Amino acid sequence: MNGTPHVLNRILIGILGLKLLAIGILLMLLATVPAVGRWWQGWSTGLWEHAKYLSEQTRIPGREESWLWIAAAAVLVVLIVLMVAWVSQQGKGRANLIVSEYDDARTPGDVNIGGNLAEQALKAALAERADLAGVTVATYEVNGRPGLRVRVQPRQGVSPHLLAADISRLVEALDLVVGRKTPVLIHIGAGARTRFSKAERVR
Amino acid sequence: MSHAQTPHARRSHPDRGHPDTLHAADTADGDTPGAPAPGTSDVGDRIDVGLQRILKRETRSSRAGMAGLAAALVIAACVYALLESALRAIGQPPWLIDPQTAAERLTALPGGTSPLLLGALGGVVAMVGLIFFLNAVLPGRKSRHLLQDPRAGVVVDDEVIASALARAARTAANVTQEQVMVVVSQRLVVVNVRPTSGVPLREERILAAVEDELQRMAPSPMPSVRVNVATSGVIGA
Repeated sequence: MNGTPHVLNRILIGILGLKLLAIGILLMLLATVPAVGRWWQGWSTGLWEHAKYLSEQTRIPGREESWLWIAAAAVLVVLIVLMVAWVSQQGKGRANLIVSEYDDARTPGDVNIGGNLAEQALKAALAERADLAGVTVATYEVNGRPGLRVRVQPRQGVSPHLLAADISRLVEALDLVVGRKTPVLIHIGAGARTRFSKAERVR
Repeated sequence: MSHAQTPHARRSHPDRGHPDTLHAADTADGDTPGAPAPGTSDVGDRIDVGLQRILKRETRSSRAGMAGLAAALVIAACVYALLESALRAIGQPPWLIDPQTAAERLTALPGGTSPLLLGALGGVVAMVGLIFFLNAVLPGRKSRHLLQDPRAGVVVDDEVIASALARAARTAANVTQEQVMVVVSQRLVVVNVRPTSGVPLREERILAAVEDELQRMAPSPMPSVRVNVATSGVIGA
């Protein structure tokens, strides 16, 4: 439900995986096949000579070092920033408002309804149920529109379809209160809390 | 049988109690003339489209953890390389190894280290790479099923379905909770029952009970049911 970039994650993880795989296989081949070792020495020495020649050409006037080092450092910094940006994309998308409208024809001014309203109404409605071990309600932004995510953890043995129908009825009641239909995701999940709790049965 | 009925009775109670508080609030609100009717067809369609996408995403792994790990790995490597190349750029002595020496050692590779160490290192790196690669390429389906609902999108963890089916099987077979184990996968439900010693079990009754519960649940994709009754019984259950 959140804005985690699934496709980007797959692509970047795949690229990193392929590179590591290639390096690992090369190292293994170097250790075991002598012919690969000879080819590697010839090829990499040529490359290294070329790099050394380049760094000779690009020396900073009046100093020993080449400016290529600074360029390399800049590239690394950019790479680090990109990686941090990528990580910050994971799990983003929390929203604060479930309704935000500007319609002067009916009411002067804007109408904003906070996500907390829906979150707390649903939580309170589900709080006293004995068959639930936990309820979490959160507002997320989906395709630029707010949506609700209701995560419930039922105790063992609770029929999920009956539970879903009950929550769905609560959501419909909420629709009437808010006056807007927002997309709602109900996630009936299991966790450590439900696994070690007692089954729903006669005591 | 009372097992199956009690949750029902208990479940219906908060239904009567709580939505009423919501309903009460809405009648005060909804009676105002000109209040927008929730769910005009246009809005409903847009919700459906958005919801389909959400449900598709919810049944797949987001790989957020792997992404964090990969980014941390790249950042660590970059920071180290940055440190060494910065030291080199300002003409200071290196911390661990000078980039130039490192490159020279790399070009001379099969020599200079023991083949065993090199091979082991290669194996580890290749293994880590393979894990990342497979994680990206495999579909990464989560063990969840979808349920039909007129208003909201519903995803259910397979574990919840399993425990509901286990309750149905348990009440049908009249055995204790520990004697039933249910495994739910994408397209198959396996119910393992160990009978109480000396009390015969009717397999078809268990099957009927589990299938009935499954029909009413209607998860998608719909799994088929298999019941295994163990040949050895449990004493004193």
